[in-house]
Amino acid sequence: MRENRCEAVVLAVLDYGEADKIITFFTREHGKIKCIARNAKNSRRRFGGVLELFARLRLQIVLREGLSRLQGADVVTIFPHIREDLSKIGYAGYACELSDRMLPEAQANVRLYRLLVSYLEQLDSFPCSADDRRFFEVNLLNVTGYRPALEICPNCGAELVSAPLLRYLPTQSGISCGCCRQAGREISPLTVSLLNAALQSGRFGAIRFPGTLLDEAGGILDSIIASHLNRPLHSLSFLQEALLVEGY
Amino acid sequence: MIYLSKSLTKLIGELKKLPGVGEKTALRLALHLLKSPANGTALAESLREVQNSVRFCSTCYAITEDDPCYICSGSRDATAICVVEEPQDLMAIERSGAFKGRYHVLHGALSPLNGVMPGNLRINQLLERLRGGMVKEVLLATNFSVEGEATALYLTKLIKPLGIKLTRLAYGIPLGSDLEYVDTATVQKAVEGRNIL
Ligand SMILES: [Zn+2]
Ligand SMILES: [Zn+2]
Repeated sequence: MRENRCEAVVLAVLDYGEADKIITFFTREHGKIKCIARNAKNSRRRFGGVLELFARLRLQIVLREGLSRLQGADVVTIFPHIREDLSKIGYAGYACELSDRMLPEAQANVRLYRLLVSYLEQLDSFPCSADDRRFFEVNLLNVTGYRPALEICPNCGAELVSAPLLRYLPTQSGISCGCCRQAGREISPLTVSLLNAALQSGRFGAIRFPGTLLDEAGGILDSIIASHLNRPLHSLSFLQEALLVEGY
Repeated sequence: MIYLSKSLTKLIGELKKLPGVGEKTALRLALHLLKSPANGTALAESLREVQNSVRFCSTCYAITEDDPCYICSGSRDATAICVVEEPQDLMAIERSGAFKGRYHVLHGALSPLNGVMPGNLRINQLLERLRGGMVKEVLLATNFSVEGEATALYLTKLIKPLGIKLTRLAYGIPLGSDLEYVDTATVQKAVEGRNIL
């Protein structure tokens, strides 16, 4: 029973029994793991009330198959400015639930960990924007291996960004040039080149999608993500409600 | 589990549904009740009594036997309403003695991940009370967890346009904590030093 030190973001918290909590952590070192925190509701000494959604923590855990045991947690940051803004809470919750659902258990994915932390830092420091959400999504699909081809048409091998017109068909989960396919939603090559740029930039805030292109990129990303989930995300309805009440 | 009897197994099954009760505890409790029938009868009776007589106040949704509850029907300040997540939070603030107004119990908090949406809470009922025009201050006393903060932010968006003074418990309350676990003196200070939003 060796104690293990690692760094993590809290993806989900569940009250368990009288005073325990079961927490889903995304650890940098071990990927997604579930931990039981005994007496977490009363024991401020051990956990100091930091077992909160999207908090970034340093953990002491005893790793076990199935349910690991949380021994202690120190806060790196609770992202205080996210907590002051309903839409930011919405975006951060969405990023956590999406990561949770797209990640297999106990498989380290350092690139996704860094992506999630950068997104939370971005939300904490700057006004929230739909562009950043789309930037997060396309990069998440990329590092989890679910990204559609954005470079060449899967049918004829033509370069997508230089085609006059592109089409997207959710069932074939791909983007092809307009010459190869008659069916599917028309999309602009500019949208695809912006998605490509978002993959290459590696920095939030560097890419901005102009109005209609944002809608196009959003439509494609939403449909790809939905095709990998067996049920809709709770956090997405919450996000929509938050954006509505905040007047976005 | 070893088969004991149909009704005993059923009792154990019911006890296990209670928070914090596992298989072993349920068996111990069931055998205890079986050994002292008087206790068992008294427990059964008080359960039935609670279910028949205890309800939620139709104004503030606190636990009560009389509707409206003693706080809503008494002489307490009707111009201030303290909004809490759960009945036990109301009790925590009452213990502090620092709040002289009335209450509104939401019965939960908005949760981005657990799908608790505004429609699942007593928010519309709160807004209806506020539209009555009597209320001058709303004290948001939801927990200092992500869910509690989200609920307070959401209510702020809805209540601000009504021109009612909004306050939040002062940040003496430790981060991430449930009010019911905070000591009375801290709750008292947080109510007295509440911040205007
Ligand atoms: Zn083609
Ligand atoms: Zn009442």
